[in-house]
Amino acid sequence: MSENVKNVNSDFSFIDINSIQAEKITAPRYSYWASVFRVFFRKKINILLICLFILLIAGSFIIPMLIPYNPYENVTDAKTYNLSPAAAMDYFGGFSFKWLFGTGTQGNSIFAGIWASARTSLLLAVICAAINMSIGIIIGAFWGYSKKADQILLVIYNIIANVPYILLISVLVYIIGSGFWSFVFALTVTGWLGIAYFFRTQVMIIRDREYSLASRCLGTPINRMISKNMLPFLTSVIVTQLATELPMYISMEVFLSYIGIGLSADVPSLGRMIQEAQNAFLTFPWAFWPPVAIAAAITIILYVLGQHLADATDPRTHM
Amino acid sequence: MKRYLGKRILFSIFSLIVVVATVMLLVFSVINRNVIFQMDDTWNKKSNNDRIFYEYTMYSKYGYLEFTDYANFLKNKYETLYGSEYTKNADYKADKDAIQDENTYLENASVQEFIAENEAKGYKTTYVAPARAKSGKVKTGGNGYLLAVHEKSVFSRVWHYFTHLVTLETTGDVTDPALTERYIRVEKDPYSGFYALVGSGTTHKYLLYVDGRFPFIHQNFLHLNLGTSYTKYRGQEITDVIHRPVGEQIKKRSQYPAQLGTDEYVETAIDFHSLTYNYNKRTATEEKQFPDQYTTYSYNFDGLAMIENSFIIGLIATLIAYLLGLPLGIAMARHKDGLLDKIGNGYIIFIMAVPALAYIFLFATVGTTVFNLPYKFANAQVKILAYVLPTVSLALRDIGGLMKWMRRYMIDQMNSDYVKFARAEGLSEKEIYRKHISPNAMIYLVHGIPASILGCLTGAIITERVYSVPGVGNLLTTALSGHDNGIIVACTLFYTTLSLISVILGDLLLAKKDPRISLTTSKGGGR
Repeated sequence: MSENVKNVNSDFSFIDINSIQAEKITAPRYSYWASVFRVFFRKKINILLICLFILLIAGSFIIPMLIPYNPYENVTDAKTYNLSPAAAMDYFGGFSFKWLFGTGTQGNSIFAGIWASARTSLLLAVICAAINMSIGIIIGAFWGYSKKADQILLVIYNIIANVPYILLISVLVYIIGSGFWSFVFALTVTGWLGIAYFFRTQVMIIRDREYSLASRCLGTPINRMISKNMLPFLTSVIVTQLATELPMYISMEVFLSYIGIGLSADVPSLGRMIQEAQNAFLTFPWAFWPPVAIAAAITIILYVLGQHLADATDPRTHM
Repeated sequence: MKRYLGKRILFSIFSLIVVVATVMLLVFSVINRNVIFQMDDTWNKKSNNDRIFYEYTMYSKYGYLEFTDYANFLKNKYETLYGSEYTKNADYKADKDAIQDENTYLENASVQEFIAENEAKGYKTTYVAPARAKSGKVKTGGNGYLLAVHEKSVFSRVWHYFTHLVTLETTGDVTDPALTERYIRVEKDPYSGFYALVGSGTTHKYLLYVDGRFPFIHQNFLHLNLGTSYTKYRGQEITDVIHRPVGEQIKKRSQYPAQLGTDEYVETAIDFHSLTYNYNKRTATEEKQFPDQYTTYSYNFDGLAMIENSFIIGLIATLIAYLLGLPLGIAMARHKDGLLDKIGNGYIIFIMAVPALAYIFLFATVGTTVFNLPYKFANAQVKILAYVLPTVSLALRDIGGLMKWMRRYMIDQMNSDYVKFARAEGLSEKEIYRKHISPNAMIYLVHGIPASILGCLTGAIITERVYSVPGVGNLLTTALSGHDNGIIVACTLFYTTLSLISVILGDLLLAKKDPRISLTTSKGGGR
């Protein structure tokens, strides 16, 4: 018996109390962004969509350089109007990507047109989203935090939010003209307000959460509060918002150009291509469906990718 | 609650005024005003000074400014002195010709009087010198003009617009001294067989009457003056444009008011309920047809008014969308990750992501080629079939949105404690979904119902354009491309009012449906 006790005692030894070690919490290593991408790429469809999206971006930025789009290049030759792909290739001498979808109402190349227009749409969406989101988030955070700002901004918001958005944008485009940058201006001059209001509510919710209250009691400085308490929560919300904003601007451009108050005639635009081809969409489908399809492809890819990324940025899915 | 509602309504009116004032400021002051002549043939035909004068007349008509001219001033001056024969007066002729000489016109007493009078009123006088060819001869349309112009301020414009928004017909409306009898009374209406409110001295003869057209009871005593269309529907009242039936005239057997009681009948498309007062003396034929001065009329048409077309299409589409979208959303949530849910989600992504333009054309193609439905509204052989595709296109869009939200809210509710409790109590799944989850999920959707119904009144822009529906959806967009400031302002007022009303109604409905929600105390994170 005593021998046994002696043996056990020789197996164990006393160690000193280490206060630093005692503070360590044993949990699996967790990196937020690594988890985001792990969850995101778990869905195989996302890889396919990303590849398609890269192709679309490459197409809309490289193809206009290789095949420049000039809607009026054949405008003097009425024989080139509304040609089917086969007829167009026949007329212009042999196979060429340029005439893959035939010609439009003014002898313009549909193939070159859709890529140049896609570039406009993508640029517009990215620029507008960047401006609106950054202004919206900054003002929204401030709005949610300051009570004085809340009072003033709420009145402004309540007035502007009552005006139908389409009315606001179309009246603005009507007034300031219809170039690319004035269109950006029309979409951003009040576009940030809705986003800011949305983030105001989000910030208010987190601001009053228990853990924020605890941090405040412990005297956490405000920038640390923002980076550690707010941003991790807001990332998923921001991505979700972005996922709806980006396709929305593209749809908006297509819509406004279609009804004739969007981009001016010298900017290639999907909406106007659709509008020009719509009267004969049953008889000349090659001029009509390509711009529709490319607009739909861009918005669907952006929307689905955005939704999936938003899901992945939500820490609750990281388990 | 009443106090809260009163405050809400007051604030809504305030924002309405701010919005309309801002839009007025923008369209009247920021945009170059001569865009209104872009499609004006009269303007094209006029030349030189006549064109300048015409421009001022139009600016004044379209509300840009107030203006009087010298010729009008002379007319008033000499008419009071010499009666209707004033044009033969030598002084009048001399005064009138005075402005045709750019060197001496200021020496004329009447000209001086005109300038002094108008400058006292704050008007700015402008002299348009005669345009002369090299020979000194006045060119075509080159006559000189003397004008007094007063630019309207935004404030007075807004004030005028809102104070004249609603007018009530009274027996004093007709200023004709020849009219002796003035009354408003209930009379038997010979055209409908019922009773009608008939006026004398009012602009309209029939103030309240019944007929076979939707909404069956019509009134003429309250008028909404949204403004005047400038370019698209030259000079017409906007309320008239959207409210008046279009299509072809329908003739039917009827009698002129003077023929009533006799056995004389006529085949006519005249709508006798639309009679309004005419100041001109009746002609011999009119004497036989009408017993009084109410001789101006409009016609009966077989089509519907623009707003009726839009409203019918929108309302049916909304009904279909709610009847299909909500059950589908519930079914999707109930069989989450099942086949129906997957298909439904695909559809939702399609509707949410794809530009409306793309899928409406897709529906149009399928509808015309597969189901052989009429594509363009006007080309439909059977009128009722023309409504099918626009309605279905709208409904299919709305179904997507409703499915998305209903499914989302259902799933949110499914994990609530009350559901677990109901399950523990042994309620069947069907009962839980029908009686417990769906009503709670519906709370969030109730808020949107007034907006979707009232929204039908504004029409659908793309759908109406694609199918060429004669509706109100494109009123604003065509007004914007046609520079029709009157319609732009009217649409702003109309759309904003509708959206304000729908938000208030939605909030009230929400508070009624969910007793936990109180409108009077602050919600949402307020400390």
